[in-house]
Amino acid sequence: MSKIVIDHLARVEGHGGITVELEGDTVGAVHFDVFEGARLLEPLVRGKRFDEVAPVLSRICSICSVAHTLTSLKATENAFAVRVSPQTELLRELLFRGESIESHALHLFLLAVPDYLNYPSAIALSADKPAVVLLGLRLKKLGNLIQETIGGRAIHPVNAVPGGFGKAPAIEQLIELRSALMQGMADSDAAMDLMASLPAADFCHCDTVYAALRSPSLDSYYAGDEVMAVSDGSREIFHATDYRALTNERAVPHSHAKHSAFRDKPFMVGSLARLTVNPRRLTGKLAVAKKRLKLQLPADNPMDNNKAQALELINDVERALEIIEQLLRAGVKDEPPVPVHPRAAAGTAITEAPRGLLIHSYSYDAEGRIASADVITPTALNAASLEMHFRKAVEQSAERDDAVLSRKLQMIARAYDPCISCSVHLLRRP
Amino acid sequence: MSKPTVGIFGLTGCAGDQLVILNCEDRLLDLAALIDVREFLMASSENDTACQLDVALVEGAVVSRRDAERLRAVRARAKTLVALGTCAVWGGVAAMDRGADRPALLEEVYGKDGLSYDSQPAQALHEVVKVDLNITGCPIEKDHFLAAIANLLNGDVPVYPTYPLCTECRMQENNCLLTERGALCCGPITAAGCKARCPDLRVPCVGCRGPVSDANMSSLTATLAEKGFDREMIAARLRTFAPEGAAQ
Repeated sequence: MSKIVIDHLARVEGHGGITVELEGDTVGAVHFDVFEGARLLEPLVRGKRFDEVAPVLSRICSICSVAHTLTSLKATENAFAVRVSPQTELLRELLFRGESIESHALHLFLLAVPDYLNYPSAIALSADKPAVVLLGLRLKKLGNLIQETIGGRAIHPVNAVPGGFGKAPAIEQLIELRSALMQGMADSDAAMDLMASLPAADFCHCDTVYAALRSPSLDSYYAGDEVMAVSDGSREIFHATDYRALTNERAVPHSHAKHSAFRDKPFMVGSLARLTVNPRRLTGKLAVAKKRLKLQLPADNPMDNNKAQALELINDVERALEIIEQLLRAGVKDEPPVPVHPRAAAGTAITEAPRGLLIHSYSYDAEGRIASADVITPTALNAASLEMHFRKAVEQSAERDDAVLSRKLQMIARAYDPCISCSVHLLRRP
Repeated sequence: MSKPTVGIFGLTGCAGDQLVILNCEDRLLDLAALIDVREFLMASSENDTACQLDVALVEGAVVSRRDAERLRAVRARAKTLVALGTCAVWGGVAAMDRGADRPALLEEVYGKDGLSYDSQPAQALHEVVKVDLNITGCPIEKDHFLAAIANLLNGDVPVYPTYPLCTECRMQENNCLLTERGALCCGPITAAGCKARCPDLRVPCVGCRGPVSDANMSSLTATLAEKGFDREMIAARLRTFAPEGAAQ
């Protein structure tokens, strides 16, 4: 028996590796090894008052810290039946878009694109193609500017609190964001052009199950309480509170991340899943971009997640601009957060983090302190699907050379945009 | 003069301090011209994992044997070791309840499998190896990181505020959340350096930068107790980002 081992995966967030066992041409065990240390944050948050929860659970992950913060707030507000204002809803969606722009730009330009062009890093790439790297950095900075303006900080936002925001942004700040987003329109088009120009990455093909938030507006990372799973043309819808029917998590010995399966099949979450579940988002400019990227939905190639992120960059910039126009038209009120009246109750929230479905589910005691908390992250949801695609890539590869296979596996892993800090989460058994 | 060699490492944490480095979008390419980054796994797949380093920047806490071994190996290679962020400096959120029964928590979360995981109570870097410079913050401030690099390049050590957050908050003429609103604000005992980011947005400080060196804990606890907060809750709040016993 031989083995392909990637000890410590580079250019991803967190600590993970890949092991594939080969028996001649037959693929044996395939493992996405997560050896990120367990921080046990969910049990540690027990006993915390409702307003202390988001700042702690935000620390699960820096790149998704807006998603963790806002999903945590939504779960808490669901528990206590708090209805936030329409302005808060808009500002939260805008904050999500900022995080998505930063995260996708970071992932595409600094982590994924260097592979396609055969460079070990964006810094190395910048020596030959500075314009490509500068384009990515501009988009990344735009995402951070939105997060700083609305969330108060680019990483671990501080301004979003139960019931609303500490302070609403000033009109001048929104006007500044608007002009930055105008430049972002051109930059996100250029990012799509770049992605369309890259050599094809075709390492495996197989039917894939996709799951994503089904939003009432078809275009929200934040609003909505339903998840749709799409498999072989059939569709199934779950309510947030039934999330265990979708996730069916189980612990596996080789990984500190839990694995999920839907009707015994692994499923993929993230940009590609969002576009598959909500294809009606793809109108106008996005429909043209989809054609240029040669993206077919539902896709049978996990590498297409990179193309889907490029499409979402365009969509995120457009949507952020729309929200700002809407806020400027309506005027921004400096409104205090809606008061929270704690009671013994449970609340669950589902949103779309940049890398896919994120679930926070809490129960509170009568004083508004956490009795139990469950967090399910996109990278944990993706782990089983990622292993399936590793297996298919090795099975479908004509080449048996270790270096070739290893490169394919690493590129597939990066296409999933894993956030390994996120994947190590704790599940309280029901 | 040859460029100083630098390694950037993450132990267990959220990678937020490494992300702050990558968030220096306007400076990233200048930085790459001034320093020779030999190892930075989060950003590069070409790493020299054995070379001597002039500066090692390490974020995250030590929560496993593997973390401790990696940290000792980095220490052995580095002339100057910098702890980056609250987890590295203080232990951070993973250390908030490190007296808890860890096997019980692991089993609760992962079932029986959890008992075999490589897992130990979270420690700050200085509890495992000698640390030459601390840059606190959750995450660190971009300016503090850039100042550290600029100083280290010139053979200097950067100086960070040693006064409490309240000082910065007053300079911004904010109304006091603690005395005027009775909010549980950690400003009086938390290290300044963030320009009182949270109180400036009318959000109470959660103490994410860790305690200021001359924190007057008893006076803050007394003030909060007067406002009706129970002592156990105050103590739990104060150790959320920096556990008792991690003080240097």
